[in-house]
Amino acid sequence: MNQRSRYAAAAALCVLALSATAQAQQEPGITDKTIKIGVFAPLSGSGMAYGFDVLNAAKMWYAKVNKEGGVNGRQIELVIEDDRCNANDLVAAVKKLNEQDKVFLLNGGSCSAAVVASREYIEREKVPLVMLNASGDGALYPPSKYIYGAFSISQHAVGGSMVQFASEHLKAKKIGYINHDDAYGGWNLEAAKAQAKQLGDPALQVQSVNPNITDVTAPMLKIRAGNPDVLLLTTYARPAALIIKKAHELGWNKPIVLAVNGTADLKQLVENVGNKDAFKNVYIQDVLADLPGGPKLTWVYEMYKQSYPDLAAKPGHPQSYMPYGIPPAMAVVNALKAAGPQPTREKVLQALETMKFDSGVMAGPIEFGPGDRAAQEAAIYIKFDGTNMTLVPGAFKSTWQYQK
Amino acid sequence: MSFADTWLFLQQGVLSGLVTGSVYALLAVAVVIIFKTTDVPNFAQGEIFMVGGYIALFLILVMGWPYLAVIPVTLVGVAVLSGLFQRVVMERVIASKGVGVQMVIATLGLAYALKGLVRTSGLGDTPRSLPPLASTDAVIIGDAVLTRLDLLIFAVAVTVMLLLFGMFTYTRVGRAMRAVGMNPKAARLTGVNLTRIRMMVWALSGLISAVAALLITPKILITPDIGHIAILAYAAAIVGGITSLPGAVVGGFVIGIAENLVGLFISTNAIVVAPFVAIMVVLLLRPQGLLGGKLQVKKV
Repeated sequence: MNQRSRYAAAAALCVLALSATAQAQQEPGITDKTIKIGVFAPLSGSGMAYGFDVLNAAKMWYAKVNKEGGVNGRQIELVIEDDRCNANDLVAAVKKLNEQDKVFLLNGGSCSAAVVASREYIEREKVPLVMLNASGDGALYPPSKYIYGAFSISQHAVGGSMVQFASEHLKAKKIGYINHDDAYGGWNLEAAKAQAKQLGDPALQVQSVNPNITDVTAPMLKIRAGNPDVLLLTTYARPAALIIKKAHELGWNKPIVLAVNGTADLKQLVENVGNKDAFKNVYIQDVLADLPGGPKLTWVYEMYKQSYPDLAAKPGHPQSYMPYGIPPAMAVVNALKAAGPQPTREKVLQALETMKFDSGVMAGPIEFGPGDRAAQEAAIYIKFDGTNMTLVPGAFKSTWQYQK
Repeated sequence: MSFADTWLFLQQGVLSGLVTGSVYALLAVAVVIIFKTTDVPNFAQGEIFMVGGYIALFLILVMGWPYLAVIPVTLVGVAVLSGLFQRVVMERVIASKGVGVQMVIATLGLAYALKGLVRTSGLGDTPRSLPPLASTDAVIIGDAVLTRLDLLIFAVAVTVMLLLFGMFTYTRVGRAMRAVGMNPKAARLTGVNLTRIRMMVWALSGLISAVAALLITPKILITPDIGHIAILAYAAAIVGGITSLPGAVVGGFVIGIAENLVGLFISTNAIVVAPFVAIMVVLLLRPQGLLGGKLQVKKV
C-alpha cells in the first residue's frame, strides 16, 4: 500500500468512526459520558408499596454500576418520575421522560393496569421500555418489539407454576382453582389450563369471583363439594383472606396454595383470617430465589442497608417487593453493554430479545425470546403455618407460551 | 349435582344469605330513611359505612382502646359526622333553593372526601380486619355451617331493626320523621322543625351505618373501597320499595340470599350481577318494589 492509499484508508476509518459517534449521539439521551434512563414507579399514594423500594433497588444497582466505571465508559444518569400506580399519571410520566427529558430508554412500571396503558405510546414512539416489577401481561402479549417485563413473574406464569406445583409436589389429580373474573384471572387461568393439559389433564375445577366479592360462601362450598385434592387461590389479598377463613369454617383441611398476588403482607393476612389453625395446610407462592431474608438474598438486603441507611432504619422498610427492582436494572445494564460503545435503541432491543442470565434474585432465570417478552416464569413455594416458613425444595416453572 | 349437594347448597345459601342480608338490610334502611325525608339518594352511604369501620380500627389499633369504649365512640362519631354534613352542607343547598341534583352531587363530594381522608390516614394501604365481636367457632344448623359471629351479626341486625320499628311507631321523634317523609309542608304546619328532623335523620342513618360496619367488617374486611357495598343496599332498597322501611329489610334479605343461591346454582361469576338482575325483575314486574304500596301519581 503506497502512502496515498494509507492516507485514504486512514481518512475512511476516521469518517467511519466519526459517523458511528454521530449516529450514537443522534440517539436521544446519549452523550460521550452519559446515558440518560427514565425511571418511574409509584412513589406516593396508596400504590406506593408496589414500587417505592423497588425503584430504590434499581437505583442502587445503577449506582453500583456507575461506581464500577459505568457502561462502556458512560455513566448512567437517572431521571425519576412518580406514576402513582395510575394509568393517567404513568402515561404522563412516560411522555415527559421521552419528549422533555429525552431519555434513551425507559425502565419503570410497578402496576400492571397502569403500565399497559402506555403500550400504544411506547410503540408509536419506538422507545424501549423495560418494566420494573409489573406483570403487565396486557403489554407483553402479543409481543411488542419495544416492551419487556414481568421480571417478578407474569400472571400467566403464576397460574402455570401453581398447577405445576400442585401436580408435581402435592401429587394432586383433582385441582380446585379460584381466580378473579378480571383480566388478571383470565391470564393466570389460561396458563393453568395449558399446564394441566401438558401434565396429562388433572381435573381443574374453576370458580371465578369478582374482586369485590363480600360473601365467599358459594365459591368455597362449590369447591368443597367437588372434593379436589388441593385448592389453588390466585385472588388478591382481601378475597384470599376471606376464602382461607371460609375454608376453615367449612372444615376444609386439604392444602391451599396462595399465589403471590395475595401475599404482599403475610402478617396482615394472618390477622385478617383471624385464626392460625386456618394455616395448618397452607402454601404460599413466592418469586424470589429464597425465603425472605434467606442466605441467597442476604447480599440484596445488605446492599439496601448500605445504600439507604436512614430508610432501612424505618419500620416497614425495605418493602417486601424491594428485591424485584434489581433484575430489571441488571437487564438494562446487560443490554447496554451488549449494544457496545456506540449504543442505539435498535441494538439494545436486539440484545434484550436474546437475553438470558441468572439474576441470583428471582426463582428462575431472566430469559426472553423472539415470542416471549416475560422475563421470569418460575416460582418457589413455602409452607406457611401463620408464623413459620419452610421452603419447599426446587422451583416450579410455567411452560405456557404465547401462541399467535 | 346430587340431591345431598343441592339440599346442602340450599340450606347454606339461605342461612349465609340471611346473615349478610341482615347487614344489607341495615344499610338499606339507612338509605331509605334519608330518601324518604329529603328525597335525596345518599351516594355517600357506603363511604359513611366505611368511615365507621376505620374509626373503630383507628381506636383499636392506634389508640389501643377496648371494644367497650370503641363501640359507643364509633357510633356517636359517625352519627355526628352525618348529622353535621346535613346541617352544614345539605341545609345550605336547601336554603339556597338547590335542586335534587345539587344535593346528589354534594353527597358524591362527601363520598370522595371521606375516601381520600381514609387513604391518607395510613390505615387504608391494605385490607384490614376489626377483631370479631364474637368467636368464629363453627355452629352447625342442619347441614349448614355458620359461626358464632354470624349468629351475633344476625341477632344484632334484627334487634336494631326492631328498635327502629319501635322508634318510628311509638316515639314522638320517630313519628315526626315519618311525618316529614310523608308531607314536609304539613309536618311544618304542625310544628315540626324540619331542619332539626332532617339532621336527626342523617345522624340516625350514620348511626345505623356504623352499626353495620362494626358487625360486618370482621367478616368481609375493610378497605377504602369497601363502600361499594352500598350498591347492594341500594339494590335492597329498590327491590323492597325505595320508600318502604319494611321493604328495605325484606330487600336486604332477598339480595343476601339471591347472591348465594345464584353463586351456588348458576355461577360464581354471576354473584355480582344477581342484585342488578333482582332490581330489573322487580322493576319490570312490580315497579314500586315488593312492599312499596300502590303506585302513586304525584302532582307537579
